Amino acid sequence: MRSAYRILAIIIAVEVVIQAMAMVFAVAGLGIWVDEGGVLDKAAFESEDLSFTGVGGFIIHGINGMMIIPLLGLVLLVVSFFAKLPGGVKVAALVLGAIVVQVLLGVFGHESAYIGALHGLNAFILFGSAVYAARLARTAGVETPTTAVAA
Amino acid sequence: MTEYVKAHLRQIVAIAATLVIVVPLAWMWQASRMPGSYSVMDMGYVDAGGGPVSSTGHHGDHAGTISVSDLVEDTDRAADVVVELTANQGTVTLASGRKVEGYTFNGTSPGPTIEATEGDLLEVRVHNEDVDDGISVHWHGVDVPNAEDGVAGVTQDAIGVGEDHVYRFVVDDPGSYWYHSHQMSHEQVIRGLFGGLVVKPAEADSRADVLAVTHTYGGTRTLNGEEGDVAVDASPGQVARIRVVNTDNGAVRVWTDAPYQVLAVDGRDVNRPTEVVGRRVAVPAGGRYDLEVEAPARIEIGGSTAIVLGEDPGAVDQPGVDLDMLSYGQPATLPFDPTEPDRIFDYSMGRRPGFVDGKPGMWWSINGHLWPDVPMYLVDEGDVVLFRIENHSGEVHPMHLHGHHAVVVSRDGEPATGSPWWVDSVDVENDETVEIAFVADNPGIWMDHCHNLKHAAQGLVAHLMYSGVTVPYRLGGDSGNEPE
Repeated sequence: MRSAYRILAIIIAVEVVIQAMAMVFAVAGLGIWVDEGGVLDKAAFESEDLSFTGVGGFIIHGINGMMIIPLLGLVLLVVSFFAKLPGGVKVAALVLGAIVVQVLLGVFGHESAYIGALHGLNAFILFGSAVYAARLARTAGVETPTTAVAA
Repeated sequence: MTEYVKAHLRQIVAIAATLVIVVPLAWMWQASRMPGSYSVMDMGYVDAGGGPVSSTGHHGDHAGTISVSDLVEDTDRAADVVVELTANQGTVTLASGRKVEGYTFNGTSPGPTIEATEGDLLEVRVHNEDVDDGISVHWHGVDVPNAEDGVAGVTQDAIGVGEDHVYRFVVDDPGSYWYHSHQMSHEQVIRGLFGGLVVKPAEADSRADVLAVTHTYGGTRTLNGEEGDVAVDASPGQVARIRVVNTDNGAVRVWTDAPYQVLAVDGRDVNRPTEVVGRRVAVPAGGRYDLEVEAPARIEIGGSTAIVLGEDPGAVDQPGVDLDMLSYGQPATLPFDPTEPDRIFDYSMGRRPGFVDGKPGMWWSINGHLWPDVPMYLVDEGDVVLFRIENHSGEVHPMHLHGHHAVVVSRDGEPATGSPWWVDSVDVENDETVEIAFVADNPGIWMDHCHNLKHAAQGLVAHLMYSGVTVPYRLGGDSGNEPE
């Protein structure tokens, strides 16, 4: 269970990195597309297949951020109940809390650019807490044999 | 037993905590799953808006009812205009020469422009040659009898491959409209299954008539299928009516170098329009704005396409401010009193986590509920209805009510002071409240949804239902009808 905890925490941290990369990939591609004469307005943005290199970044960011990462955060919390890590549940809850805040900032970043800036800041809090969770599981030592019921 | 509990306390707590998290989620997931087919009448809950709940057909009460399929135009009257539309699927060659994967009517996208004169009975014979998912045709902005509204699973069954369907309705109100599929509409409309519909006034208009159907195919904006500048012959001093029809999922901005007037919005004339300078017009998704412009002029539509009327005066900078229709034109007497509504409905849009048909995500909500647990707005014929549309979802929503034109009463508490602003498609920005009012004068069951059609497919759809109307059609995967 501890290694499950550790691996999940690492995956969440990596996912945060992927999220940052996907967004910059998309914004860079959008900038190049506009440079080359593409015109973006609400209608173009909402059209199904805007075609520029990087457009997939927006889609990846949305699916990862609103479905996959929240799901990983929930699983980490459930795993923490069985992992017998000192402080493990607390840190998993912290990770999940940071994810919830991140999703809300992401969704409501559409109404204020400053909320978007906080979304960027909170990404580091989320990344930091996920890395902390992974280290916690690692430093707690080798998993002792246990008769724990499988989750 | 207590010894056992003591020894395993930690595990028991862990399992209990897991169940506390997993069981509600599993229950919500299970509850959100849709049956193979269902009736729109079983969706959500009745919201009577403070009015009486009389013989509603909702949830199986069938006293004194009429079927949607019987709400048709006078069957004895002969058609004045007959149009045939054949739908196909495949590679579409646009007027610009660009090839896209999608759908066509009569081999083109946009499909043929349908023209009729005020008062005509229009008969459109639709044939689906090879569109696998089936199609339907909705007459966006035309307040047709309910059976002709073209919403698959609500007002008809989708037209399958090889099948035909005839639409018959009278076009009473001159103006700019459009038609589009309302089966799998988030897929079929963006990929080309639509066209323009112009209803000319009975008295001839001296203005040149220019239709500008704007659509974005694969990220490229077009006007009537053409790209870039679209030249229209006009001698200096000639006045033109530019009919901007927005078939996209988001608003498009329109501006010009010359002063212009907004003659009509959504097929309804503006009362005593005035000259506009230094403002752009925001045409919401699904909306139509008719502008009067004098040649020579350049009418920019979205920045990458333009109508060039006569000699090109050259590129025009985009004004930074939208024309506010709330105060444009002169007030006029309304045909009803919106200050004393019979029913007041809230249509408050939000966004929250949950499951829709088993899929987890951040979903649009209506009055706090996720689709399909959304309000069924119930009215009686003749009611004056006030809709208070609020948006707290973080994004703009272009709201479209079928079968009716509503007048905008206020926005964020600021009352309308200009011409009566009649709409069938209106943008409600984030953190904005728009009040619209109308007379319930067209019995049936009418979609009231976001015309960013992806949002509709994500559940931003409710219905307006008249007492005593029943629906013989079914929705859902097994029925073959998926209007969104």
